Amino acid sequence: MFILQIFVLCLVAAAIALWGLNFPYPSPLIRRWLPPRKRWPEAQIRAWLKDGKFQRTFLSHFYSDPERVPPPGTSVLAAADGLVTSADMRGRIRYLVIALSFWDMHVQRSPVAGKVVSVASHGDDFMDGEGREFAFLREKACPVQKRLVIQSDLGQVAVRLITSVAARRIEVWVQEGDRIERGQRIGRILLGSTVVVELPVTVNLLVQAGERVWAGQTAVAEGLTSL
Amino acid sequence: MNGLSWASGHLDWGIFALIVFTGLWWLLSDLVWRLKSVRIGRLAVTMSIGWVAGIGLILLGFYLGNR
Repeated sequence: MFILQIFVLCLVAAAIALWGLNFPYPSPLIRRWLPPRKRWPEAQIRAWLKDGKFQRTFLSHFYSDPERVPPPGTSVLAAADGLVTSADMRGRIRYLVIALSFWDMHVQRSPVAGKVVSVASHGDDFMDGEGREFAFLREKACPVQKRLVIQSDLGQVAVRLITSVAARRIEVWVQEGDRIERGQRIGRILLGSTVVVELPVTVNLLVQAGERVWAGQTAVAEGLTSL
Repeated sequence: MNGLSWASGHLDWGIFALIVFTGLWWLLSDLVWRLKSVRIGRLAVTMSIGWVAGIGLILLGFYLGNR
């Protein structure tokens, strides 16, 4: 009986020790019950960024690439998971800015079906919070980005994949001349950053600033004609 | 040897239950703190009341069981 008691007390003591060793971050015993944002708090991820070591479970979450089913129709889809931070117009273009967080799925998907007209690199600097005040259009101190132009039967759409201080790497998985499907994977920004979808001003936007969108799944605009 | 915390060669079950309950309650408080967006003071008061109630129930249970 005493042995059983000691065993149970050791289990409880071990659980409390795990809690203490991980505090203020969650103990591994409760991580599975927490949503990603609380499972890996931002301060913890920023600390990992500094020393280059990441928790394996965080990396497997970060590199997750779930299947997505595009809604039927010809609506323009979100190119990334994240929060719409603005949908302002400049000239004849509406810039739909989607901010990704550390906890979002980081694979980007094509908003429309069509042909990749160009894949171009822009920018010369890493910035934080870029893209949210049109920094991605500046000539100088422009954030590092890849701009894909996709020509669909209904018109032209461009997607900008933008890095940040934390991100610094962009993978593009399509090339000029490729034909791509609506919702097809087009690339990945490694760690949180920004994706901008450039649309003609004539489109009817279906989302507004503050809404969450999912790549290849959320219809963000309809009525695409030409850029 | 029998005493307040020792009975027939093992820890008294009442004391044992209090220790285990307190440890698990502490961990549960941490989980609730992370899951709910509540102020720390409010959570501390709520969890303390829960802890006192739990301890009370354990003591009552052992008292009634040993009467």
